[in-house]
Parts: sequence; structure tokens; C-alpha cells
Amino acid sequence: MQQVFSIPKSMKKDFKYTFCPGCDHGIAIRLVAEVIDELGIREDIISSTSVGCSVFLYDFLDIDCVEAPHGRALASATGVKRARPDKFVFTYSGDGDFASIGLAESMHTALRGECISSICINNTTYGMTGGQLGPTTLLGQKTTTSPTGRNVDYYGYPIKIAEHIALCDGTAYSARVALDTIPHINQAKQAIKKAFQVQLDGLGFGFVEILSSCPTNWHMTPEDAHKRVREEMIPVFPLGVFKEVSKDGN
Amino acid sequence: MGKIVIDDSRCKSCYICTMTCPKGLIKKSSKTNRLGDYMVEFNDEKGECIACAMCAKRCPDLAIEVYK
Repeated sequence: MQQVFSIPKSMKKDFKYTFCPGCDHGIAIRLVAEVIDELGIREDIISSTSVGCSVFLYDFLDIDCVEAPHGRALASATGVKRARPDKFVFTYSGDGDFASIGLAESMHTALRGECISSICINNTTYGMTGGQLGPTTLLGQKTTTSPTGRNVDYYGYPIKIAEHIALCDGTAYSARVALDTIPHINQAKQAIKKAFQVQLDGLGFGFVEILSSCPTNWHMTPEDAHKRVREEMIPVFPLGVFKEVSKDGN
Repeated sequence: MGKIVIDDSRCKSCYICTMTCPKGLIKKSSKTNRLGDYMVEFNDEKGECIACAMCAKRCPDLAIEVYK
């Protein structure tokens, strides 16, 4: 019999994910590894990792990484890319890292049009630290720091990251995808590939926001968590490509 | 006809695969892992598996290998 689905070659040998059961980080990291395999760029990669659950990327992917302070993944990545423009540089971070503490760094990296690819996992909460209110927490969502639910008067509105990044002139690709169904997982892989390809083509900043579930901090089963992504998150954070610059400049 | 192999050391019993398989061939088993969670088992007596790999694509822990 022929093997039709196996673990990507870019993943470390005998790794075991340390995420909670049902966490979508595992699928997101697999998609990144598959794209790296398909583009054949593993030897040229320097990744800049964040702080949060996403930091474990370097435990599972067999690539070179530098660790950045909280929120400064793209600031470090800018330095790496400018020092070594021949290398492929990408960041992998969560919404708290990318869009709260690191919003200035993220936004200005896109505005400068750095040839860097960036992936942001949006699970509407701070997962590693115990489920506090994050920048993307939905209105009405109960977290440990908003026990009565997020209300506009006190906490304001959630940020729509992919739309904001798409407004930056230096951005070459900005999309939002989800991981709740097989078609969405396939779309997510295509989006990650395009965000990587714009860097290889030297077009500018490539960005993908991935809607992900956090069953532990949402206090749900994995299947209910995916249902919440479908029914509550996607209406607020619509999926789609918000900016795409092609090689001929359109 | 296909088959899958589930790596019990990777599986964390999230049961996403049991709800994903279109033929319902993956089920909760009576065996438990070291944390006491019921593990999953693949049972395909009639040879219904077509190796669509939907279980493997949705497995968050990459515990499933698919053969055809």
C-alpha cells in the first residue's frame, strides 16, 4: 500500500505536539511545514518567533529560528531580513502578540513593505496565560479578565487584523482563513503559500490571519469550539483575500 | 480500499476524527491512555475506507497516517 498522507519532511523527527487536545495550532504548523516542503525553502529559512502558545513552532519545525521579545517578532524579523536579504524570513504569532503588544511593530513592518511573511493565529483570547481578554475578543465573550463579557463601553471593539494590514501600502498579500472545515483548511494552505510566494517574488509584506479555536480557554469540546468559529467568529471576521498584488503590479 | 494507522502516543483523544470520517469508521474505544482518556480505534471490517484523508487533515496532533 502507498502512503497518501504523512507528516511533512520539515517537521522534526519524533516530535510530539505539546498543545491542548483539539488545538488548531497543530494544523496551522502542519500547513506551514507542507508549504515549506512544496516551495523547497527549508534550508534558506530564518524564522522569528513570538511569545505565547505560538512560540513552540521551533520545537516542531526543523528550521532556524530567532526568539524575539513579546510582540517584537516582526521587529526582529526586519533586522534579520535586512542583514540577510538572501534568506527567507517569516514570523508565526498569536493575536495577542501580533495585534496587541506588537501592533506598532506589525503595522509599521507592513507600511515599510518589508519582504517578510507573517502568520497570525486569531483565537480571540490569550491562550498560554489562561484566557484573558485579547484585542480580538468578541463582544459579549466571557474571559478571565472580562467575567461579565466584553462590552463596548468598557473594552471597545475587537480589531480586524487582516483588513488593517490590507490598508497598508507596503502589503502585497493579506487574507483571513479558518481551520474549522476541510475546505477552509485547504484554503488556508493556499493563502499561506501565497503569503510566502510574495516574499520570494520580492513584492512586499505577506500576511495571513488564521481563525483558530482554543477549546481549553473557551471551556468547550473541540467540536463545539469549531462550531463557535463557524457561527460566531466568521460573521465578525469574514474570510477572504483583502489585498493581493501580482507580479505585473496590479 | 484504504486504511489508516493511528499513532496512540500522539493522539490526545479530542475525537475530531470520529466526527469527521464520512463513513463513521473511527470510533471511541474502550482502551484508555495514560491520562485515562478513551482512545480512538479504526474499524473497517467491510473495507469501506477510501483513503480520503479527511481524518488526517483535521487531526490537530498529526496522529493519523493514511495508506491507499
